[in-house]
Parts: sequence; structure tokens; C-alpha cells
Amino acid sequence: MKNMGKNCRVIKELVRIRFQNLMMFRLGFFGPFFVDGSLFAIQLIVFRAVYANVERIGTWGSGEMIMYIGTFSLLNAVNMVIYFFGVIGLPEKIKKGEMDLYLTKPVSPLLRISFEKINPGSIPLVIMSLCIIGYGIHVSGISLNAGMIGAYIFWLLIMQVLYYEMEVLIRCASFYLVSNARLEQLEEAGLDLCMKLPGIAFYGIYKLIFYCLLPYGIMATLPVQSLIGEMNRRLAAFGIAVVFGFGLITAFVWKNGLKHYNSAGA
Amino acid sequence: MKTDCIVKSYRKYREVARIHLKSQLAWRADVAFNMLFTVSRILFANLLWGIIFAGNDVVAGFTFHGMLSYYIISSFLSQIEMSDGISMEITWRIRGGSFTNYMVLPINIEGYFTAMEVGVVLFYIAFDFIAAAVWIFLFRIQFVFTADPFVIACAVLMVLLGLLFMVQLNYFLGILTLKYQEISTFLMIKNNIIALITGSIVPLALFPEALVQAMRWLPFYYVTYLPSMLLVGRCREEALPGLLILAGWCVVMQVLIIFTWNKYRKKYDGVGI
Repeated sequence: MKNMGKNCRVIKELVRIRFQNLMMFRLGFFGPFFVDGSLFAIQLIVFRAVYANVERIGTWGSGEMIMYIGTFSLLNAVNMVIYFFGVIGLPEKIKKGEMDLYLTKPVSPLLRISFEKINPGSIPLVIMSLCIIGYGIHVSGISLNAGMIGAYIFWLLIMQVLYYEMEVLIRCASFYLVSNARLEQLEEAGLDLCMKLPGIAFYGIYKLIFYCLLPYGIMATLPVQSLIGEMNRRLAAFGIAVVFGFGLITAFVWKNGLKHYNSAGA
Repeated sequence: MKTDCIVKSYRKYREVARIHLKSQLAWRADVAFNMLFTVSRILFANLLWGIIFAGNDVVAGFTFHGMLSYYIISSFLSQIEMSDGISMEITWRIRGGSFTNYMVLPINIEGYFTAMEVGVVLFYIAFDFIAAAVWIFLFRIQFVFTADPFVIACAVLMVLLGLLFMVQLNYFLGILTLKYQEISTFLMIKNNIIALITGSIVPLALFPEALVQAMRWLPFYYVTYLPSMLLVGRCREEALPGLLILAGWCVVMQVLIIFTWNKYRKKYDGVGI
């Protein structure tokens, strides 16, 4: 509990410093919002065009698909606001030996790296995503109750954790490899594919890959399935197991990676 | 005398293309991974359209295999269109103050970037072709391809003009940095929009007819979408008008480039921003 209080104070201080920094370098403050906003707006246009020609994709109508795009956009937006810009700098810090600065401070290095570059410029993307989800709910015509909303928020939160775990895990490869550019390329390709395609479209080997190995396929799918009543106990247990499993793997790779870190710039 | 000058000029650009073609050999892993990641588009098409065609025989005039053939061709064309690096290169060079390196070359800068693009495309084209053939085989696609030599000739010419137009566009956007200083965010948004309006994400035939009609007046329609449609045996009647419109856009873009360059090049002070 005492540790948690200390971490909260550290996060608060990191946020304050970041705001000071952003005030100095205002250039491109809303850049990530416009870039990612355009990406998800295009997704909406694409699926509107597809649904103008077909009734359903699998079991999903256009409302469910809009909710899916909104949910993925929301996960991405929270990622951009809180930890993305911090975590992506990890490989460079390992390569240049800058991790020393983090390891010698009396605070968790991963906590500091994750929260030191928050990006409030992406907050409008969160609002836009919520609007897309609301629109999707309206189009699909489902009537919500507190239980459904609670389940959706629960799945959103744990999928956000999964997003974070995957991001850290891929960048931790820098502790062991000279370059993790290929892994980042793989991440980009996986995210790009799953951003456009809900998990319900995967089958066979693709399902194994995008549900278990690179679980981007479940990130927005499970929250939407919980909202539209397609979630069952087996799927729920699987989703929680994936988040928990990747949490263990990430913690192991991070801790073991720190032992590999030799402090020298490459 | 004039012929001598043209031959010398041609040799200079050929040398630039040759150097950039050879320099790609240093990035063998990039080539392999670029080939490998072309699968993501085909996989997207296979999964999305697989589930859609499970309940439909024809969508927007496409059969399942016709649709996948469209994606194979458009993915191949999108892969060989690699000019977006030009605008980024110019913008970073201007911002960093090292654009001078290009200005002091005894060669036209736009010509240099065009020759560079030729070298890079010539290197990648064979690998992208192999990748396309592998995906056709792996995904068991009954590949639909036109046998009409006139259509094939028009499509090839259109692809070449399209590549030239994209080089011009990216060069133009790059030199806009002289005026606007920070355009990298805009360039990223541009890439998202271009993927949509060139029909790389989904065929433009899925959009409402009025919108497609409006897009026919824009050059992007002819960069990837129409050549792909021509090669899968559709839109034959649009081939010749398409070539004319695209050629017209290339001329317009060249005029814009010359005007912008002459107007803003004096703003460049060589010390960065």
C-alpha cells in the first residue's frame, strides 16, 4: 500500500514534468490525434462501403463493426495518451546505455519509462472513440443495462493491460538482440491487420496466431462480444488466461532482460 | 551538340538509378521482410472476403477469386510505389539544413529523386513479383487476369504514369517544407488517405457511384485502382480516358513543382529549422 502511494506520487510528478515539457515544444501537440484519427475515420468509411454491399460480416452487422472500430480506436487512444511514447523509446535507451539513469533512481524503471511521456494531445482521440462506440450502439439497436456496461469496461481495462504487455514485451527484445526492428514490424503488421479485421473473421491457424501468439485479434473483439451478448464462460476464461499469461511472460522477460543489460552503448 | 547533352544527362540519371539499385543489396533483410509482410494485405483480403463471400456469390461485380486477384495486383502495385520516402527525406533534409547536399549536385533535384525511385523499383519489382506468385499459390487463388494485349499495354503505361505522378506529388509535398517548415504530421495523414483513395484497402467499386464518378477526375484513381481493375478484366472502356487524365495531372503537377520551387527555394538558408 505504501509502495502504491509512492508510485502514484511518482506518476503525478512525471505528468507534471511532461506538461512543462510540452509547453516548451508545442509543435505537433495534436499530431498523433490527427494521424490516428484519420486512420480510424478511414476504417469507418471502408466498412460503410463494405456494408453498403453486404448485410452482415459473419454474425456482425454494421453497428457491431462500428463498435469494434471505436473500441480499437479507444484502446489505441488510451495507449497513446498514457504509455506509447514512453515505451517506444525503450530500445533506444537500452542500445545507448541510457537505462543507467533509470536503474539508479529509487523508483521502478518500467513505471518511469511508461509514464514519463504521456501525450495529452491524443485525448480528443479518446473522446472521438467514445462517440464512435456510442454511434455503433445506436446503429446496432441494442439496449444496454448496467451489467453489460460493467462487463464492457472490465474487458476494456484488461485488454488495455494486454496492449501494454505486448508493447513492452516486443521492446524488451532489445535486451537480447542488436535490433528489434523486425519485431516492431511484426507488431505493426499484426495491429494493422487486427485493426481492420475483428476476431470473428479468424479461423484455424490464423485464430491460433491472432488469439494466442500475437493476441491483437482479441483486444477489441472480446469487449464488443461482451457488449453484444456473444461472450460465454469459455471465451471469458480464455481472454483472462491470455492477459494473465502474457503478464507473466512480460514480467519474466523484463526482469531477465535487466540482468542482460550491460550498461554499454551499442 | 544537343544530342551529346541529352546523352550526358541520361548517363547521369542512369548512374543515380544504378547506385540506388545496388545500394538496396545492402538491405537484404529489408527486402525479405518487405516480401514477407505483403502477406498481411492478402491475408486481410482472404479473411474478410472469405467470410463475406460465404453468404454471397457476387459482391460489387466481384467473385471471391476475382476479388482476391484484385488484391494480389493492387498489393503488388502498392508495394512497388515506394515514393513516400522522398517527401520525408526532403522535409528532414530541409529541416536539418542538409538539403544543400542535393542543391550542389550538378543534376536536377527532381530528376535525381525520379532516377532514385527507378533504381529502387527496379530492384524490388522482381521480389514483389515472386511474393505475389507465392501468395497466389499458398492461398490457392484462381487468379483472374485479362488476356487482352491492348488492356495490358494501357495498364502498364498507366502504372508507369502513376509511379511518376506519385514521385512528383511526394517531391512537391517535400519542397512545401520550404514554406511550411513542419509537414511530417500532414505526410502521415496523407499516407492514410492515399491508401483509401487509391483503392489499396478496398476496391473503389464498393463506394457509391457518384463518389466513384468524382474520383475519376482525380489522379489517385489511376495509380493503383484502375490498372488493377483493367488487369482483372474490368473497366476496359476507362483505359484510354484514364491515360489522358493521368497524363494531364502529371503536367499540372510539374507546373506546380516548378512554380513552388522558384517561389520558395530562396527561403532555404542551409542552417536548418
